[in-house]
Amino acid sequence: MRNDTPELVKKITALFVVAILLAGFFVAFKEMPKGPSVNVNQRVSRLYVLKNVQTATKLMKSGNFFTKGMKPLRSDVPYTPIVFGKSSNLEDGAANVVTSIVVDYRGFDTLGEVTVLFLAATGVAMLLFGKEKKRKKKTEPSLIMYVGTRIAFAVIFLFGIYIFVHGHLTPGGGFPGGAVIASGILGLFLGKNGYEPNHLGLKVFESLSGMAFVIIGLTGLFSVKSFLANFLPTGTIGDLYSAGFIALIYIAIGMKVGAELSAVVNSMIVDTEEEWS
Amino acid sequence: MMQVFLQNWIYLIGAISLFGIGLYITLTDENIFKIIVGLNIIESGTNLFMIAIAWHPKAVMPIYTATNHLVVNGKVVSADPLPQSLVLTAIVIGLGTTALALTIAVKIFEKYGTLDVRKIKEAKR
Repeated sequence: MRNDTPELVKKITALFVVAILLAGFFVAFKEMPKGPSVNVNQRVSRLYVLKNVQTATKLMKSGNFFTKGMKPLRSDVPYTPIVFGKSSNLEDGAANVVTSIVVDYRGFDTLGEVTVLFLAATGVAMLLFGKEKKRKKKTEPSLIMYVGTRIAFAVIFLFGIYIFVHGHLTPGGGFPGGAVIASGILGLFLGKNGYEPNHLGLKVFESLSGMAFVIIGLTGLFSVKSFLANFLPTGTIGDLYSAGFIALIYIAIGMKVGAELSAVVNSMIVDTEEEWS
Repeated sequence: MMQVFLQNWIYLIGAISLFGIGLYITLTDENIFKIIVGLNIIESGTNLFMIAIAWHPKAVMPIYTATNHLVVNGKVVSADPLPQSLVLTAIVIGLGTTALALTIAVKIFEKYGTLDVRKIKEAKR
């Protein structure tokens, strides 16, 4: 496409590309399960819900897992149904199945995800580093704004901590909790002209919580002989002190994400010149 | 048949519509900021697609509570939790890439004084 190509030709070409994509999607849809026939019972994810992956691993090793018609669990394998508040010493004691997948079964994936977020925060800080800080607001925020954001920050901070401590029981977890804490710090920025957080404190906090994640993983490596393996008792499903190390890892992730997003907000707000808006 | 279509396919069609809208914006728009918005719309469409193929109309949430039973008569009735955890990962990574892209847009504006792709191309000559 040249610069002097007419506008209409370009738009028609773009629409053509989009149409090819949509046609491909519809061809793929014809092969997909539809409506109420999406059946979790025929998928591997069922084993995550049943918290019985060890049995599946044994079946796979013996070659009985993928039989004709794909039955993930054989009927002769004993299985005890999980009752909320009563079942104890499960393979993974988290009531939230998504959390048990994210942190326990696929914990290494989450470690990579945290690393990607760290790289993004570092890139933002590096690109916006070393500029003179021109932050001249025309109006100073009022006293009500200043006091109100400080009171709201305490409540928001507590709510964020609640979210990531209860990550294995309720919807939520480390990433939403960290984002909530960062939004509280954004309120502090709005409340006072020229507010600056403790940069060294943020960096140390972030590094320590990132190291805590890896140290928990290494503890699993040395005690259970697998990286990021659960080395604590899983307890009764539904209790706050259950699910072993999931709560510990989510506390580390929540603190790390909160510190990183606060650093991103800091570099994006402080270095913005007022004349642009 | 119509009911089944409305129950699940409406989400799939919405997902690809979002994907198509985002792709059209990224292909045709000249403003870098709007291109980033288009990329975010593509990301939303992908996340909705992955959630929709894991869901069926009679599914319950994949969280054990006192009243929410995931396994009834030996069959799993919850939504598929595995794509949901993948989407949880995708959202966080999308946030990181968006922040980095916006930062690069800020640097481009500082150097050329505009976010229009064609004017940047002319200023380069």
